[in-house]
Formats: sequence, C-alpha cells, structure tokens
Amino acid sequence: MSLLTVEKVTSGYGDMEVLHEVSIAVDSQEIVTIIGPNGAGKSTLMKTIFGLLKPKSGRISFSDHEISALSADRIVRLGMAYVPQVENVFPSLTVRENLEMGAFIRSDDFSGRIREMYDLFPILGRRGRQQVGKMSGGERQMVAMARALMLNPQLILLDEPSAALAPNLAEVIFERIEAINDTGVAILIVEQNARQSLSLSDRGYVLASGRNRFTDTGENLLANEEIGQLYLGG
Amino acid sequence: MTTLAHIPQLLVYGIISGSIISLGGIGVSLTYSILGFSNFAHGDFMALGAYIALGLFTLFTGLGITNAPFGPLSFGFGFVLAFILAIALTAIAVILIDRLLFRRLRRSGPVILMMSSIGVALGLRNILQFFWSPQPHYYSQAIQPAVSLGVLNIRIKPDELFIIALAVVLVIVVHAFMRYTKMGKAMRAMADNATLAQVTGINTDRVIIWTWVIGAGLAATAGILAGIENKFITPELGWQMLLSIFAGVVLGGIGNPYGAILGGMVIGISEEVSTAFISTGYKPAVAFVIMIIMLLVKPTGLLGRKD
Amino acid sequence: MEHLVGILNYIVFFAITAGTYSILSLGLNIQWGNTGLFNIGIAGFYALGAYTSALLCGLPPSAWEGRTFGGFQLPFIVGLLGAAIVSGVVAMLVGAPTLRLRTDYLAIATIGIAETIRLILTNESWLTNGVWGFQQIPSPLYKTIHAATSAYLKGHPNLPVWLHDLISKSYDWFYLVLVLVVLFILYLIMERLVRSPWGRVIRAIREDEDATSMLGKNTFSFKMQALVLGAMIMGIGGSMYAHYARFISPVSFKPLYGTFIVWVMLILGGSGNNKGAILGGFTVWGIWAGTDFLTKYLPFTSTQSASLRVILIAVLLEVILLWRQQGLLPPKKHLFSQK
Repeated sequence: MSLLTVEKVTSGYGDMEVLHEVSIAVDSQEIVTIIGPNGAGKSTLMKTIFGLLKPKSGRISFSDHEISALSADRIVRLGMAYVPQVENVFPSLTVRENLEMGAFIRSDDFSGRIREMYDLFPILGRRGRQQVGKMSGGERQMVAMARALMLNPQLILLDEPSAALAPNLAEVIFERIEAINDTGVAILIVEQNARQSLSLSDRGYVLASGRNRFTDTGENLLANEEIGQLYLGG
Repeated sequence: MTTLAHIPQLLVYGIISGSIISLGGIGVSLTYSILGFSNFAHGDFMALGAYIALGLFTLFTGLGITNAPFGPLSFGFGFVLAFILAIALTAIAVILIDRLLFRRLRRSGPVILMMSSIGVALGLRNILQFFWSPQPHYYSQAIQPAVSLGVLNIRIKPDELFIIALAVVLVIVVHAFMRYTKMGKAMRAMADNATLAQVTGINTDRVIIWTWVIGAGLAATAGILAGIENKFITPELGWQMLLSIFAGVVLGGIGNPYGAILGGMVIGISEEVSTAFISTGYKPAVAFVIMIIMLLVKPTGLLGRKD
Repeated sequence: MEHLVGILNYIVFFAITAGTYSILSLGLNIQWGNTGLFNIGIAGFYALGAYTSALLCGLPPSAWEGRTFGGFQLPFIVGLLGAAIVSGVVAMLVGAPTLRLRTDYLAIATIGIAETIRLILTNESWLTNGVWGFQQIPSPLYKTIHAATSAYLKGHPNLPVWLHDLISKSYDWFYLVLVLVVLFILYLIMERLVRSPWGRVIRAIREDEDATSMLGKNTFSFKMQALVLGAMIMGIGGSMYAHYARFISPVSFKPLYGTFIVWVMLILGGSGNNKGAILGGFTVWGIWAGTDFLTKYLPFTSTQSASLRVILIAVLLEVILLWRQQGLLPPKKHLFSQK
C-alpha cells in the first residue's frame, strides 16, 4: 500500500476539466517527480491532492485515509504538507513567525523543530527576525519549505521549487530536498525543467494534456530519448 | 486672529474624535485584510454597542447598582460594567451575524459580502430605531465642566482625557496581540494570504472569529466613547461616522491597521480644525476630500503596501 | 365605483413612482449589472438630477426664500438634459481617482459623494434653499392639461362622481405616460447598447477585467463610460421625480430611498438584465407600498412601522443573496461567462 494513491482522478476549475483520469502513487520515503509541458495539469494535480480543488471523479487516499473530500486544513493534520509554486510565504511575517505558523496546530513546544529547520537551512537561522517579504527568491523558497516541514509531515508536495531561481540557487534547493528526503520524508515534486529533479527521483511520471503519458524510474525516464526530446528540451 | 487662537483647542477636539475614528478604523481594516471585504455595517456595530451599553446601564440603575462617579469622571462602576458587557455582547452579536450571513456568502466573493453588509447596516440601524426610536438617548444628563490645561487656553473635560487614554491603551493592547500572540500572528498571516494560511493548517475559521471579536469589540468601544463625548446617542451614530472612518482607513492604507490609526487621527484633526474656516456641517465632506486627494496622489495610502 | 376609482388613482400614483425607480434601476444595471461597478451613491446622482432640473426649470427665488440664484424657468426637456449632464460630470469626477483601483474604492467614494452632495444641498441655502428645499417646481404641460380638464368638467357638471374623480386626475395619467415613455426609450437605448460591441466589452470587464485588458481594451475608459452613462440615467430619474413631486428637499434623498432600495430592485429583478431591472423596480416598490398598508394594522407607532419596513427590505436582500443571487430574471448566457 502506497503512502499516497491517486486513482483515475478527473479535476479542474468550474466546468473546465484539466485532469482526465490521472493516476499516480508515492511510497514512503520516496522522491517522485511529475514532469510535463506548461498546461499539462501539474499544478492542478497538486491542488486537487491537497484539497484545494475537489475531484469530479476518482479517489485519493493518503496513509490509509480517503482524502478526496477533505479540505486542506484537514489534510495537513494527516501529515501531508504543500508548498505552492508562488506566494508560498507570509511576506509581512518574519522568518521565525512563518515557521511558527507552520506549527499552528501544534500545542506542544516546537522550538526544537525550529532549531532543526535552522540546521537544515542555516541562512534562515541567521535571519530569523527578518521580514520574509524583503528576502530573495531562493531564501523565500527555503522559508516555504521549512514552514511546510514544521509538522514533521510524511509527505511534502513541492510545486516547481526551482522555478524562477538562478541555476546555482536551484542546485542548492535540490540538494536541500535530498537532505529532507534523507530524514525520511517522501517528496512529490512537480517540475517543468526536470533533469535535475528526475536525477534524484526514485520514480517519475510524465503528464501531458491532463493525462498520464509515461511512468518509469527517474533514471530510465532521463535515458528515454523520446521523453528527452519532447519534455526535457532535447 | 480669533480663529487662529482657537486652533489649539480644535486640535484637542480633533485628537478626541480621531481616537474614536481610529478605534472604528482598526476593525474596518482588519475585516478588509482578513475577510477581504469592505464592511459597511461597521458603523452600525458601533451604534449597536452604544445601545447595548445604554440598555444594560438602564437595567443596572434599575437594579440599584451604584454609579457613583470615579473621581472627576461623569460615570462610575455601573456604567463601566455596562460598558464591558456591551463590548462582549456586541462581539457575540456580530459573530452570530457572521455565522448567519457572511460565512455562507464568503464563497460568493467580496462584492456580495459588501452588499450583504449594507443590508446588515440598514437592518441593524432600524432594529435600534424600532426599539429606541430615532430620538437621542442620554447616558448622563449631567454637565461636566471642562478644566483648563494651563497652556494656550486649552480646556478639556476629564471624560475626554479618559477617551484619549483608553484609546491609547487599546491601541497598545491590539498591537501587542497582533505582534506577540499566536492568534495575532495567524491574523497577520491570513491577511497576507488566506489560501496559504489554510494550506498551512491555520484554523482560518477561528482566526475569523477573533477578527470579529477585536473588530466588533473596538467598534462597540468607539460607539460608547462617541456617546460619552457627544453626551447622546442615536441609531445613526455609527453611520454618521462611517465616512470619516473609511476616509481614515483609505488615508492610512486600506488593510493596514496601523494606517487606520494614523489615518483616523489625521481625519479627526482635519475635520475639527476645518471648523475654524468652514461650516461645521461640512466635517464629513472634509474627510471625503482628503480621501480623494490621497487616492489621486498615492492610492495605497500613507502606510500602505502594494496590493 | 368611487372606491374603485380611488384604487385606480392610487395605482397611477404607484406606477409613476415605480416607473421613476425603474429608471434608477436601469441606470444601476449598466453600472453594476453589466460592468460590475459598485455604486452606492445612487441617492447623490438622483438628488443632483432633481436639483439641477429644479434650478433650471423652477421659479426665480421669492422674497421669503433663502436662495438667491437659479429658477430660469426653462422648458422641462432642458431640465431633463441638464440633470443628465450634471450627474454625468460628477460621476466622472468620482470615477477618475477610483476606477483604476479595486471596486471597494468606488463604493467608498460614491457613498462619500452622495453624503457630500447632501451636505451641500443642506448648507448652501443661496443655491438650494437649504433644508426648506425647492417648492413649486413646474410640471410639464401642467397648465395646459389642468385648464383643459377644468374646462371640460365645467362644461359637464352632471358627470357621475366616479367619472369626475377620474377625469380630475388627468394630469397624473399624463405624467404616468410620460414616465413610461422615458423609461421605454431608455430601455431601448440600453438594450441596443448592451448588444453592441461596446456592451460585449463592458460585460467582459465584469467577468474578468484582467483578461479584458490583456485583449488590448482600455478598461478604465470603458468603465468610466458605463459609470457616467448610468449616472446620467439616474440624473434623469431625479428630474422625473422633481417635476412630479414639485417639492424636493435634502430629506428626500437620504441613502435609504435613493440607494438601498434601488439595489434591492436590481438584485431581485436580475442584475445584468434590463427587463429584470424594470421588473425589480415595480416588484420591490410594490412590496414597499404593500408593507405600508400592512404595518398600519400592527400596534406600532409610525416610526416603528417605518423601521419595520426597512428591516423587511434588508431581510429580503439577504434572502436573495443567500438563495437566489441571479434574481428573478437572470442575465442571458454570453460568450465570456467562462473564466
């Protein structure tokens, strides 16, 4: 039984269907990447998994719970976290306050977890009292990831974590993603420019026009010539 | 020359009325930033608070609860008790209105909420009018002498000093709440990004309830203070201040509670000082003109951030 | 029979008022129903139209009046056009600083302008006669029709009482026709407009302003046109009111009557549908008038009854918002409804 199972999910906005019977699965402690061209429905899939969009049909289950009908705030409590692609931090709050918000539902002392996050992202530790709105794109991405990790989730969804980042910064982010995975957290990444992401993934899915196209291990997808040409920019 | 000599005194009046406008403005600002709509019923929440206090105070007087004045102030224990309970009851009433109407309309978007708030405004005002008539009611008929401050011929009543002091204390308390408590931080987080707040696991419904508690509590306070300052209350009390409150909120930067405080103070002072030069009847128009000028010069307001 | 005539005369009076409100509702429909502009200062534009028309067509100030200006005794049609122009110009002044911003700003600014207009009407006695208001505003063709009616009644002294009563109200019948003609002409113009390419653009703005501006449309200018046009229609409504009521004062234009009830009319009738705007005008005015009869039988004072009626209208608004936002006649489906 996988940690996350998405079975034949159809979803979209209003009357418009973006996903057509998409199925994916993520096992515990795995890194899985979903790649696909712009408009393939990757972000829609993320939002549907996380309860921000209601699936029109299909089933989503997470660690033995059916979550298709749950709202985002309930899903968080089950041990899943989500980092949206944009607007993923609270800009008027400080770094530390952003992390505190990540732990909103915890009533215990979570200062230890904050220290762990500062160890994982040392730059945040040095800027705990800075307003996040005044930080760079890469730093904001770190704040967003640390915020999502505050509840010790089993699975974290990352929507294009390296988008709009300079290549060297993207490298840092992916290296941190691996570090997070090493602590036992499963990771589901959506990426457009996905070579880097696939190379550290256990498995990958190719999504196009809202449908499943290919599924294979990360390595095999990278090695596949057709996919390379069609989806990885040659 | 006589007009100019009056200005220090008008400044003091401006600070008093600015204190009341600011307290009203904080609530408007919080509702705008956290719930995402302009609440046109806020003035009527103020009137509701003022009338609940009146009702309780009348009841307490009937029960023989003492209202022996505290020192130089015009009121005592009975009134203060009514004051505090009115704040709580207003907050409860507003939360009920939210559950009954606003919560169900949240999915329909800000404009529908704004429209609903206009219905609430007229409904509330006429409920007050139904029970208490449109005629003025008095907390106290006693005349309180103003005392001289000994500088620039400024005179002020002890009650007015109380109004300013209470406003300052409440602003500090709200500031501390927003800055240091978990719920206050969650309110700021939700004002930043409501969807992200939900995704993060913040209990947004509880944040909304707290927003109404603070907004409605301060509204009731402002309404009662307006009653103390004017010496009487009418069901239109809040509506008559609403334009000044909105002008203050826009002036300071809509959605920023600190802006609402600053803006409310500027509007209050401008309105009072303007009476040295133009007819008193134009006070609300002064607020309106200042607001329009701000919108032309810098729509984000004095302390506003980009939208 | 006399009783029936009494009812008939009341219905005429009712229809004149309902027709005038329907004009306002049509004006709001172009602003809100089609373009999505949140104008809650209808009372202001309505008052502006009424006062402009009174200033242009009314009598010169008399010795005991506070005003010292105006009263040019111009023809009714000049008053009507003047009312439209003045309301339109003021709408432009309100729109300029606010139409580029979120719709809340327009809402706040329109409430502000309505209040400011009311203050000016109350305080500038030289222009408006202050709280005493304008009196004896001439009604169009009143002398002609009145003279003809009197002559006819004099020539036929033996008419039954009911017929006499009916004929003596001939001016009201005339005014009803006038209101309905103005309403119908405005309706035809609005229908043509919303079906034109211009109408498609303003509806697209309502659906999704950002997308529309990305299509290369200057949304600010289109919104301004819709705001001004709607305000002009409201000004015409004010003029129609002034020439029938013949007396106007600042109290006639409190926010409730001029603004809130028009909103309920449009929302109940169906925002975005011109027929709905008119249907809503007559329906809500019917409810409003009907409750006047009802509350007379309740053991309350007249001010309490008045409050009760407003509470009822407020409840009606909330009920529509909760359960039937599209109103009685929903707008027709059109191309841009997909987001």
